[in-house]
Amino acid sequence: MNTIQKKIWMLAGAVIVMMFAIWLALTFYNQKTQDQYNDILQRYLQMHEVSASSQETVTNLNEYLSEPTGRTANRLEVSQQRLMDAQASLIELRNAQNEFTLTNYSNMIESFMETVERSIAFSEQGENETALTEFTEASRISIYISEMTLSIFNSELKTYERFYRDIIRQSKELDTMGVLLLSLTSVLLLLFTYLFSLSITKPVHQLTKAANELAKGRFDHPIRVNSNDEISFLAKTFDHMRVNINKLILEIQQKAQVESELQESKLLLQQSQMRHLQSQVNPHFLFNTLNTLSKKAYLDGAQDTSDLLVSVASLLRYNLKRLDHTVTLEEEAYVLKQYMEIQKARFSDRLKFHVDLDETALVYQMPSLTLQPLIENAVIHGIEPNEDGGQIWFRIKDLAEHIVIEIEDNGLGMDAATMEKLRSGGINPQEGHATGIGFANVTKRLHLFYGREDVVEIESTLGRGTKIILKLPKVMEVENYV
Amino acid sequence: MRRKVIFALCSLCAVLGFFTVLSVNKVLHSEWELPSAVKTDQDRFRIVLITQELDTPFWRLVGVGAAKQAEQEGVGFELWGSYGNNQEDFLKQVEIALHSKVDGVIVQGNDTEEFQQLTRIKAASYGIPIITVANDVPVEKSLRKTYVGSDHYEAGKLLIEQLVGDMGEEGEVVLLGDLDLEYSQRLRLKGMEESLENHPGINSVYVESGSSDEEGAAATQQALNKHPNVDAFIALNVRQAGTMMQEISRRTELEPFYIYSFDDGSDASDLLMEGKLDAIIEQSPEQMGETSVEVMMQWLRNEVVPLNSEGYITDIRIVEGKGGLP
Repeated sequence: MNTIQKKIWMLAGAVIVMMFAIWLALTFYNQKTQDQYNDILQRYLQMHEVSASSQETVTNLNEYLSEPTGRTANRLEVSQQRLMDAQASLIELRNAQNEFTLTNYSNMIESFMETVERSIAFSEQGENETALTEFTEASRISIYISEMTLSIFNSELKTYERFYRDIIRQSKELDTMGVLLLSLTSVLLLLFTYLFSLSITKPVHQLTKAANELAKGRFDHPIRVNSNDEISFLAKTFDHMRVNINKLILEIQQKAQVESELQESKLLLQQSQMRHLQSQVNPHFLFNTLNTLSKKAYLDGAQDTSDLLVSVASLLRYNLKRLDHTVTLEEEAYVLKQYMEIQKARFSDRLKFHVDLDETALVYQMPSLTLQPLIENAVIHGIEPNEDGGQIWFRIKDLAEHIVIEIEDNGLGMDAATMEKLRSGGINPQEGHATGIGFANVTKRLHLFYGREDVVEIESTLGRGTKIILKLPKVMEVENYV
Repeated sequence: MRRKVIFALCSLCAVLGFFTVLSVNKVLHSEWELPSAVKTDQDRFRIVLITQELDTPFWRLVGVGAAKQAEQEGVGFELWGSYGNNQEDFLKQVEIALHSKVDGVIVQGNDTEEFQQLTRIKAASYGIPIITVANDVPVEKSLRKTYVGSDHYEAGKLLIEQLVGDMGEEGEVVLLGDLDLEYSQRLRLKGMEESLENHPGINSVYVESGSSDEEGAAATQQALNKHPNVDAFIALNVRQAGTMMQEISRRTELEPFYIYSFDDGSDASDLLMEGKLDAIIEQSPEQMGETSVEVMMQWLRNEVVPLNSEGYITDIRIVEGKGGLP
């Protein structure tokens, strides 16, 4: 991963390397030029050395001839040596242009030295006259040497003139190059710096935008940052946070839904209880009155009336029980029978009630007051409108995995639209219901109790009758489900 | 915005980079290479051609021929010399050449004591061969190895023949010469005089003059005064021919005179072109240069030993002037 620190280091490194390279190149070039200058100067100095030392030799020879002592001889020898060294160094100066002249030059020095030697030799032999002639000769050659030095200088200048001019031109060009190089480096640095700053600020901008999105509450946009440094790390962490928040929000929403469902069931219960309370008009007085009426009817010999009143009393008592209690199927079926007794008294022959109970199923638990509203529906919609009366079948079957309760009538039936309306709870209980509890209420409570949706089924054909089928899971012991 | 900035910076970089590269190229690229160094063990023969008349086309041609030959032979060659007959400078050059121990000296012969001293004693002591070119100095005096150039005696004869052919057997001719004649001029004179002996009808007068222009003019005046019937002039030295003709033209027409000279100077071809000179003996300077170097190399390489001390004669021919004859 490229860290920002690394990037800064790289930028600084590039700058340093660039500067260093330029400095090195310039230094190298300067050194080269200086070497050239030195070479050139050296050439002239070497030639001058020849000229100077030959003159010195002549002077020393003169001294020696006029005063041949050890000291003057020594000095003469030193100057001769100096001339010889100068001559030896001439070889280095040779090139194609001056080879001829330089050879001449070198030979002339040789001749000069030979003449000097001869002069010394004659002087030592005492032939001063001849020695003096040789000295004159030597001094003449020395003059020639000086002249030749000048002429070589001249030709050197001519040979090297363009070279020298080139050097001058180059040094001028160097100035231009310096300025250009400086500006190029500056612009390059600007470019690098710009790209570098961009590589830092761009991800930051992206991150800021993403943060703004989050602040506005949009948690579903993934955060993408085109970078490979710390900022990308930050962005990844940020994205992670966004995902987590998103998850949390979903959880909260689900919980809220569950809560609202609970609330709804509570409301339903309260609604049922309210209806109840409306009908709880001094129940004890009613019980007592009904019992008294039952006794009176019995004493008066109206056996049927007495039984009917007992049924009404027990039905009333059952209905007054709290709704949030579970009951066994047996209890529920018993109350249903009592209710049907009363309805039989009302409809006499018009109502035929068939019961088919599977005894083994009666032990299971279920919410109270669930079957009675359904039977009421069957009576109200199946029997009442029909002048010829009708039949109601009530069956409880114990199947392997669940219990099936069927309530069937052969009344008017209903069309598909009505059935759909009923299922979605769009129909309110009508007058005539003893309990005041509608179909929708029953369905809801069954759903909530068993925690499943597929408990109630309706089969109906218009003009043929309606069949309500409850598929109840087998529940033995259950605490209050509210 | 970002794109624009990057684009602008990039293009600026490219432009600056281009110019920088150009500039670097200019700085690093040197137009002038230093002369190549030569190997120290390379020991070429060095030959010097020395003349006292560097300024004349004649000697320039000798130099060209010699340089050409030297290049062919692969030896070092240089043309030295003095300008305008500067005797002192010329001798100094010869001395320098000897002190420089060149391998061979080709020199314009100079019939003076100093010159002979140099060639006889100094050159001998350094063991340097001397070849005279164009102007000879007798071998007894100079100990030169050989001579390369025209046969001046023959040239004199040739010129007289031309004169007789132009003028006829009768007439008076003035021969104009320097006070101290070069060996070559003496040979020319000798050739002419001997040739004139065969033509008794021609009366010849020898007039001496100094080497300067004034003296030449004076000598011409004198000759014209003394010999009013003169028909022809022959200048031994082409330098004097110019002065002479100036002087004649001041007095009278040039046309009636037959004027001849020997070409070894600058004026000859000009005068010929102008038609003032009737004819000159033309030599072969380039051939002289070539042959002298060739002969010198033969000597240095021990191919021909000894060299023909009589000399190697180069071509001469008569060239007639444009102006036609009187």
